[in-house]
Amino acid sequence: MSEKDRPKKPVGADLILPACAAAYALYYVWSVHEFPLEAQLSGAILAGMLLLLVAIYFVRVALGFLAGRYSLGLGDFVGPPASLIGRGIFFLLMLGTLAVVPWLGFTLTTFAFLSVSFLVLGVRPVSRALAVAGTGALTGWLFFIVLLDTNFPEGPFERLVQAVF
Amino acid sequence: MLYELDTLAGLIGHAFSLWWIMIPAIAVGLVAGAVPGFAAHNTIIILLPLTLALDVEVALVFMVALYCASHLGGGVPAILVNIPGTGGAAATTLDGYPMTKKGQAVRALALCFVASVLGGLISAIVTLFALPVLSQVGYYIHSVELVVVMLFGLALIASIAAKDMLKGLIAGAFGLMLGAMGADHIYATPRGTFGFLELFDGVPLVPALIGLFAISEAFVMLEQKTVVSDSDRPTAPPSWGESSREIFNAFRHWWQITWTAILGLVIGVLPGAGASIASFVAYQQSQFFSKTPELFGTGHPQGVIAPESANNGVTTGTLVPLLAIGVPGGSTAAVMMIVLQFHGVPFGPRLFVEQPELAYGVIAAMAVSYILMIPFMFPMVRYMSRVTVISTVYLAPFIVAFTLVGAFVPRGFLFDMSVAVAFGIIGYVARKTGYHVAAILIGVILGPLIERSFLLAMRISNNDPMVLFSSNIGNLLWVLLVLSLALPPATSWWRRRGERTNEIQKGFGDEPR
Repeated sequence: MSEKDRPKKPVGADLILPACAAAYALYYVWSVHEFPLEAQLSGAILAGMLLLLVAIYFVRVALGFLAGRYSLGLGDFVGPPASLIGRGIFFLLMLGTLAVVPWLGFTLTTFAFLSVSFLVLGVRPVSRALAVAGTGALTGWLFFIVLLDTNFPEGPFERLVQAVF
Repeated sequence: MLYELDTLAGLIGHAFSLWWIMIPAIAVGLVAGAVPGFAAHNTIIILLPLTLALDVEVALVFMVALYCASHLGGGVPAILVNIPGTGGAAATTLDGYPMTKKGQAVRALALCFVASVLGGLISAIVTLFALPVLSQVGYYIHSVELVVVMLFGLALIASIAAKDMLKGLIAGAFGLMLGAMGADHIYATPRGTFGFLELFDGVPLVPALIGLFAISEAFVMLEQKTVVSDSDRPTAPPSWGESSREIFNAFRHWWQITWTAILGLVIGVLPGAGASIASFVAYQQSQFFSKTPELFGTGHPQGVIAPESANNGVTTGTLVPLLAIGVPGGSTAAVMMIVLQFHGVPFGPRLFVEQPELAYGVIAAMAVSYILMIPFMFPMVRYMSRVTVISTVYLAPFIVAFTLVGAFVPRGFLFDMSVAVAFGIIGYVARKTGYHVAAILIGVILGPLIERSFLLAMRISNNDPMVLFSSNIGNLLWVLLVLSLALPPATSWWRRRGERTNEIQKGFGDEPR
């Protein structure tokens, strides 16, 4: 296969991390710009090193792009399209967990998150999804909270059990 | 002065008599090590009320047995689901997980357990005899040398963990930048914290570990039905015979286990340079001396043995500076130091004069705990490998549910769970685009340590940057650092050139005469 026929390598997604890293480095330098020189030194050296590496990488990508070896496509970045919606909802459920855990506590949040995730990801029948989620949440509660007295977020379930026993 | 042999035998015999506390500690340590975010120091912190209530000797034995077992347990998820249970097992994912994906999970687990147990045992025995000498190493490592040691470790990780060295270096430097977040060491003013009070102490390490490894892996995992492909999926659990055979076969690698364990021990003695660095250095050195370096990263047994043996070699090493000069060699040693201080145990030369049986006894207890771990290997190899056939639609939600809440444990901040999610996103992007997450994590861990040592060196030298080149050990380490960056591309260029020459010669040979 000649150089011309070879498919272009999609590198669009590869630029996300260096771009974010460079943005953070610039923000970091900005956040210390009013500090005394001594306090700026280590951050400035680190940011300089990171920005230099990112610049070299961008030059490399630009050269490859100009030579026709690279494209700005995302490639396999988001994974198989068939499961994309399910994985997207799973991500939103994870964010939802952060919002409800202060009120529901560990056990109820874990049960809710597991059972809805199983259903969204295609576990059937529903009774099996609920049974596995319930067993998982209760086992976690027994091991981490009852047995190890771990500092997990508490909610109505933990407080009720504490009050009864 | 070496302790007399009969006294050492007595100490080991006495350690065996504490089996009743060691076995539960090993069981807890194995589980804790296998759950990301519940590493040894977290577990010891959770069990602090128990260790403070126990007799000092029993508490110490409990802590070291748990610590050793957690290093063994950390390799299990690294191999099975590409999530290191502890930072020291990050290098194990490089070849352990590819072995699992090739349907060789049983073999990888057997190699991991044998390398861990044998590596830990060898280093404990070597430490028992070399403790008086090893304790001197810490005296030669000052702030300048620490800066270079840490940069050396990071450069090694960047050059070996990522297939593309430039991407590896960007990941490592990004990690260092994130690690430098928080209040500065001189004026205590916040830097790069986005205004969040919770980040004034810097990036919390447990949420970062959970996000980069567990959460990102859960999302990558969901892209397929099971961890292993359908064709590689075992149809039945491995028999006892197969598990035992793999364990006995793993002992054939005794020489690699021995030298990587000793390498781990030496690195462990350096304060700050813990299991993460040791395992990557051992991996890189094994690849360098291997007859088949091109197989590393594709599911090569040597790539599992090196990091596992080295990170268990570190376990005894990290206690040496704690016992000898009162400087903890790692986070677990720091927690142990707090417990020992509570019990009024002295450190440094006074410990060896006043309570030598405690100083040597703790290392003897480590050796014995590794011996007691041997029976655990057989059932673990047989049953743990079944994790790979669990459907990812069950596995991924469980991983997220239990590790995300683990981010809450160390500080009790709900904010830390959000930090874990943020690092999960960074980890997902890194995994999908070839920026190795281990390089980012090690950068985050080393960022504040390097900065502290760097600022100390600058203060001592009145801000003269040439201080970084002022020590012989430091200069030697600089040379090694440059070599570690230059050698991999140079050797791969040399190998390609050799292959091209061979092809040309072969072409000439094949030509009709």
